[in-house]
Amino acid sequence: MRFRKSWIVAAKDLHVFRKNKYILYSLIAMPLIMGLLIPVTLIYTLQAQAAVLTQTQLIESATLFVNMFSSLFVITAVALPTIIASYSFIGEKLEKSLEPLLATPTTDGELLFGKSLGAFIPCIGATYVGGLIFFILVDVWSIINFGTLLLPTVYWALVTGIVIPLACVLSVEANIIISSRVNDLRAAQQIGGIIVLPLLLVTLLPSVIQILPMDTLALILSGGLAIADIGLFYLSKATFQREEILTKWK
Amino acid sequence: MIELENLTRKFGDLTAVDNVTLKVNKGEVFGFLGPNGAGKTTTVRMLCCLISKTSGKARVGDFEVDHEEDRLKIRKMVGYLSGDVGLYENLSAYKNLDFYGKLYEVPSTEREENIKRLLQLVGLWERKDDVAAGLSKGMKQKLAIARALIHEPQVLFLDEPTANLDPLAAKTVRDFILELKKEKRTIFMNTHNLAEAERVCDRIAVLKTKLVGVGSPEDLERNISRRKTVIHLESIADSVLAAVKKLSTVKNVSTNENKLILDMDNPEKDNPQLIRTIVTSGGNIQYVTASRSTLEDVYLKLVEEA
Repeated sequence: MRFRKSWIVAAKDLHVFRKNKYILYSLIAMPLIMGLLIPVTLIYTLQAQAAVLTQTQLIESATLFVNMFSSLFVITAVALPTIIASYSFIGEKLEKSLEPLLATPTTDGELLFGKSLGAFIPCIGATYVGGLIFFILVDVWSIINFGTLLLPTVYWALVTGIVIPLACVLSVEANIIISSRVNDLRAAQQIGGIIVLPLLLVTLLPSVIQILPMDTLALILSGGLAIADIGLFYLSKATFQREEILTKWK
Repeated sequence: MIELENLTRKFGDLTAVDNVTLKVNKGEVFGFLGPNGAGKTTTVRMLCCLISKTSGKARVGDFEVDHEEDRLKIRKMVGYLSGDVGLYENLSAYKNLDFYGKLYEVPSTEREENIKRLLQLVGLWERKDDVAAGLSKGMKQKLAIARALIHEPQVLFLDEPTANLDPLAAKTVRDFILELKKEKRTIFMNTHNLAEAERVCDRIAVLKTKLVGVGSPEDLERNISRRKTVIHLESIADSVLAAVKKLSTVKNVSTNENKLILDMDNPEKDNPQLIRTIVTSGGNIQYVTASRSTLEDVYLKLVEEA
């Protein structure tokens, strides 16, 4: 597989996405909402507890909440691909540009990887922008109120550095497969939404289940996601049929 | 350059292309004619390695379409204009070509030169920065042809290059194809447009799932559809018409104003007797001509008989 070929496809998709207002607004709106809404909710919750807790208890509680709320950014990383990745092949179909693209000397793997990369970059970028807003707001608030920084924590680093990208890759791949197999953009997004729902629940588990320490659960989850990512890439390669796309898409 | 041997493609019970055997020479402009659903697009898609064949053989250059290792090589050496122009509407004319140039691995400097040359050739250089969405249908079609040429392919497959274009835009595209013909590229062109095929193509094949005829437009007109004898009379009397119809050598008679149009097996041999008959039955002959059948006649005859 030649990564340069994949990058050419990805770069073109990134350019096309930039010109698509629907995609652009989704990429701006979702991280903004998450980046602002989550810290506001967090701060409101903690301020409600401030009257009944000591300063030390409050910091402990705040750290726990910050960790739990960090997991919510997985929602952005998993939800955005249902908008962007589902568009990748169907977008080509809508513009009737898929046939000339398939006629170029690119392999299925290069094309799929390029399409995945083109969807992954804006999704992860937008998620991190939201995460950065969260990070800044939480730390500014904690410095003002506690004189200390709540972030980063080990769990936050694991979620942000490993779980979020792996979950995003999984959602991108799932949505690319759907996009290459259905005819309608809305249908692709709806199916994508349904399929990523269980993924979302699983990735939020560490913040809800208390059987194991959150950091350990995040590591276990990362391992599972990495295996699923690799498996799904090979599945998408195996199920990607140029011929079927050309002859069955009307 | 292109060889098909008993090439067949089935979709379930439906045979889209049935045992097609033909050869296209290097530098030739080859027209593929046929009604809708005749298998033209399916054939081109098989030759561009977009879909697989059911049986038979197909070769482009030195490569077999069903050999996995040859498929990328074929895709690299051919240019393909699909039935739909399929441009990226939000990208500029330049960026559309640049993207494909990169995918076809055209080196940067050569790519820039090719884009400039092709956009100038199709008259779009001044509009290179306009998004494709803002171009007219004819301009888009020309841009799509330029896209198919960005890597200087040895073989060009054009699927209905002038379909849905107004006459002026169609002429521009046709003229462009004639320019390409001068460059001695092998061009395989699907078309419904018989006049276009006659004007542009060196040879023509008529397909109706099976191959029903192949040859130069002149050969097809000469061999497949017979010439007719046209006799211009002062007026056509009933006695003349009756006498002509009695002749066993006349297969069919039709009239058009004062003209008798006669279909005969061997006009060179039987015309003298025909003329004598007309004269003796009272017809005043002004002049006698032979009508050449058109490619349309040939096409309709081949398709109807298939």
